[in-house]
Amino acid sequence: MFLGRVAGTVWSTVKWPQTKGLKLLLVRPYRLGDVAPGAVRPGAEASEPTDDLVVCADTLDAGPGDDVLVAFGHAARVAVSEKLAPGAKPDVPIDAAVVAVVDRVEIDGEAGR
Amino acid sequence: MIRGKVVGQVWATRKARGLDGQKLLLVAAQDAQGAPNGRLIVAVDVLDAHSGEDVTVAFGSGARNVLRPGPENRDLLCDAAVAAIVEGAG
Repeated sequence: MFLGRVAGTVWSTVKWPQTKGLKLLLVRPYRLGDVAPGAVRPGAEASEPTDDLVVCADTLDAGPGDDVLVAFGHAARVAVSEKLAPGAKPDVPIDAAVVAVVDRVEIDGEAGR
Repeated sequence: MIRGKVVGQVWATRKARGLDGQKLLLVAAQDAQGAPNGRLIVAVDVLDAHSGEDVTVAFGSGARNVLRPGPENRDLLCDAAVAAIVEGAG
């Protein structure tokens, strides 16, 4: 999984039927220097996430500005299938999904260095 | 697997059911020299690792095997898990 911030939304009409009704979000992952600045750039302040965007399915109704956890692979399909079709095989064609909307992140200042 | 250092913890109330009761650690991945390479990973922890400790993180079915040895574990929502607490590396 990774920690990221929702940066936007993606729409599409031509897609696999299993993904009908599924919201797609653009999520930007945090890097170490974004959350523990001193670890990478001494004296730098905490900043916005800076990594490349990832497109994720969302079943938790996250929105732009929310910090979220995103799971990859089979774990993503398990999370989405549980909401779309409980009990069915996780065969939805996605490989990344929002699995939590983050309340709090605690960074140990010393460990981050 | 990758090697990394535990740098923090993440809490969430609104989450997929499969994450209920799981401790979620923020792990800074390390390069060959043991220095942080900038990448951050969130891993499920059942070994009670703490901030500042070096750990290995397993991904995919390897991560699920940490929580419940397979093959009947494909219902688990876990793509990364702390697999070991590292005491030394050379």
